[in-house]
Amino acid sequence: MIDGKQVIALLGQPNSGKSTLFNGLTGLKQHVGNWPGKTVEKKEGSFVRNGKEYIVADLPGSYSLSANSDEEMITRDYIASGKADAVCILADSSQLERSLFMLSDYAGIDVPCFLVLNLADVAENRGKKINVEALKKHLSIPVVSLSAPDTKKYDELYKCMEEALTKKTVLDASKLEAEYEKIEGYSELKAMIPDGVIKGYSKTWLAAKAIEGDKAVKEAVSQRLAFDDKARFIQIISKSEKGTLATSKCKYDWINSLISEAVVNNESVQPFGKFDKAITHKVWGKPLVILIVIGGLLGSFIPALPFMGIGMGIAALIPPLQSGLLEAGVPNFVAGLICNVLIQSVCYIIQMLGFVFGVTLVFGMLEEIGVMARISYVFDNTMGKLGLQGKSVMPCLVSFGCTMGGAAGARVIDNWGQKVLTIAIAWAVPCGAAWAIIPMLSSNFFGAGALLIIVIILLVMLLHMFVTAKIFGKMLVKKEDRYGIIMELPPYHKPKVGALMRYALGRSKDTFFRVVKVIIPICAIFWLLSYSASGVAEGTILYKVGTFIEPVTKVFGLNWKLFTAYVASSVGKEGAVGVLSALYANTGTIFGAVAGTNAANDMQALITAIPKPEALAFIFAVTFNVPCVVAVAATYQETHSAKWTAIISAYYTVGSLLLAFIAYHIGMLIW
Amino acid sequence: MSLSSLAVGDEAVITSIDGDVRFLSRITSIGLTPGSKVKVIKNDRNRPLLLYSRDTMIALNKKECENIKVQEGVA
Repeated sequence: MIDGKQVIALLGQPNSGKSTLFNGLTGLKQHVGNWPGKTVEKKEGSFVRNGKEYIVADLPGSYSLSANSDEEMITRDYIASGKADAVCILADSSQLERSLFMLSDYAGIDVPCFLVLNLADVAENRGKKINVEALKKHLSIPVVSLSAPDTKKYDELYKCMEEALTKKTVLDASKLEAEYEKIEGYSELKAMIPDGVIKGYSKTWLAAKAIEGDKAVKEAVSQRLAFDDKARFIQIISKSEKGTLATSKCKYDWINSLISEAVVNNESVQPFGKFDKAITHKVWGKPLVILIVIGGLLGSFIPALPFMGIGMGIAALIPPLQSGLLEAGVPNFVAGLICNVLIQSVCYIIQMLGFVFGVTLVFGMLEEIGVMARISYVFDNTMGKLGLQGKSVMPCLVSFGCTMGGAAGARVIDNWGQKVLTIAIAWAVPCGAAWAIIPMLSSNFFGAGALLIIVIILLVMLLHMFVTAKIFGKMLVKKEDRYGIIMELPPYHKPKVGALMRYALGRSKDTFFRVVKVIIPICAIFWLLSYSASGVAEGTILYKVGTFIEPVTKVFGLNWKLFTAYVASSVGKEGAVGVLSALYANTGTIFGAVAGTNAANDMQALITAIPKPEALAFIFAVTFNVPCVVAVAATYQETHSAKWTAIISAYYTVGSLLLAFIAYHIGMLIW
Repeated sequence: MSLSSLAVGDEAVITSIDGDVRFLSRITSIGLTPGSKVKVIKNDRNRPLLLYSRDTMIALNKKECENIKVQEGVA
């Protein structure tokens, strides 16, 4: 119970359709945070049924209830906390034999539960008929067969839930217990366990986990034992080497006896179709994945376009509004604050939300259909070298278009450390805005040499990604999380577009409140730095600071003008050239350049004024700088960590200046 | 013989699995236990092994496969 409302906790292996069900049940009424003190994402939501509000807690995805990961410990602790009034256990109907493993691992826990046989449609297509009544009888809990995408059929589910809550239905583990008793030492072990070691967990469950060598259970039980018993307890456990194999045999035997009575026509195999053959192909697999991601990126723009239109529409109103305010006698400073900070930030945020919405929707769909698991398989070896899972290739590719999209897309990575590391690496990929200005700058300054510069930028990018992975990998990805892929390639699922849409909307709403806190202060700080009462650059703090530290920035090949443009590029790369033009040729104000409201850029003035080595330094500094304020905000949103967002930002600032330093000095040797 | 030495289309029964508690719990929870029947779907160089067992398509890193011994043929 939470605040007098009954709580349903969702428990299921990955690909059991858990998140689809969660989205289907809660719709927009969900919020995402972190489990206290942990880096695991916590999702909670609510729904109303017959005038009564229920809370839905999405327990972290894991394959079992062992104690090997934060996810599994959080799940176990949550169940022990007594917060959940009923646990909804999910299984995939098309592969019951394996997916009932979670149920078998739950057996022995006294918290009321009910079973949802999800993906009934997939099972039916494969010619499987499941006798729900027989399962109910054997398990003595409510069971419902469901196609998660179909909200209309949720009535049965609600009935099951209500039955579990009112009758407090506890899973019957007696037949599984009979299997356990065949394991040597099990019965003696069980007899030794005192009452109520962990709330909600029976002696059967604790004894089985002790046989498996479960550290948390071992500790909790031995604390409660007298000296002699403790020694005997530990002796039995240490004798049962590879106890996990013994208990899992019991669990699968139990599952098989259930299935043999309740499932008919259990013969068909998962088809390995044309698409599977193509995407897992030795040669064509990787290009196909890249095409899919590019397609997904383009697809993300479609739902994003209306938002971007609105954002740009509002931005277009800034200049007339600003002059209007000034004419009405509003002080320049106040007008600037309103137009250049508040409204400009809102424009950024709306455009960002559109893209976050698009990416969440499209890549969420790819995940739900089952494509992401195939991508993981294809890129497992490549990304494994960086300590990442195969899926991480997606955010890196998306970042060629937009780093914010890459960060938002990283949410399909289920391990927090690997997610943060992926985002950190994806920042090294020059985004669309960099690609818009870098080739243009390069060809203006270096003619045909621009091609060479672009090749070098791509090579530096790869090196940067590798070095970043080495530096942050150790801190973010624990050694024990670095083992290779052990993953199911799920059967293809029909995505539930409606629920996904609502989820993406909810996500965007959530993003809005978080990023406002990041974007407005950064824009305000930058605006203050670039504000001058007279309008000329020499009146700004940037000028004063820039000229003061120029002896230092000169080492990196950046005079105060270039350095100012570099600082501006961490707000938005599109603006970097505009700022140069504003400073060298007086084509507008610094902030106007970043906001894109200045007059056309004067490239000729830049070419004559900036020596080649400095231009080269500038190109590298801007390319590998912090991508933009919106990417910073998106990173904060996805990692839920201000600390790591700051670390990554600082790292990229230092890294880009270092690259500028190298580029500048190589340039000095050449020219 | 080890799981990774099977060729595409081979069917086999797992005879033993080695590893620490963490690995054992992970591998059994995805459905692979001694006695499981497996069929190899794909076994490309530099790619995870793709196999079919308990109605499930499973991708498995090659290094992990070394710890899994099998008997060829279906018992």
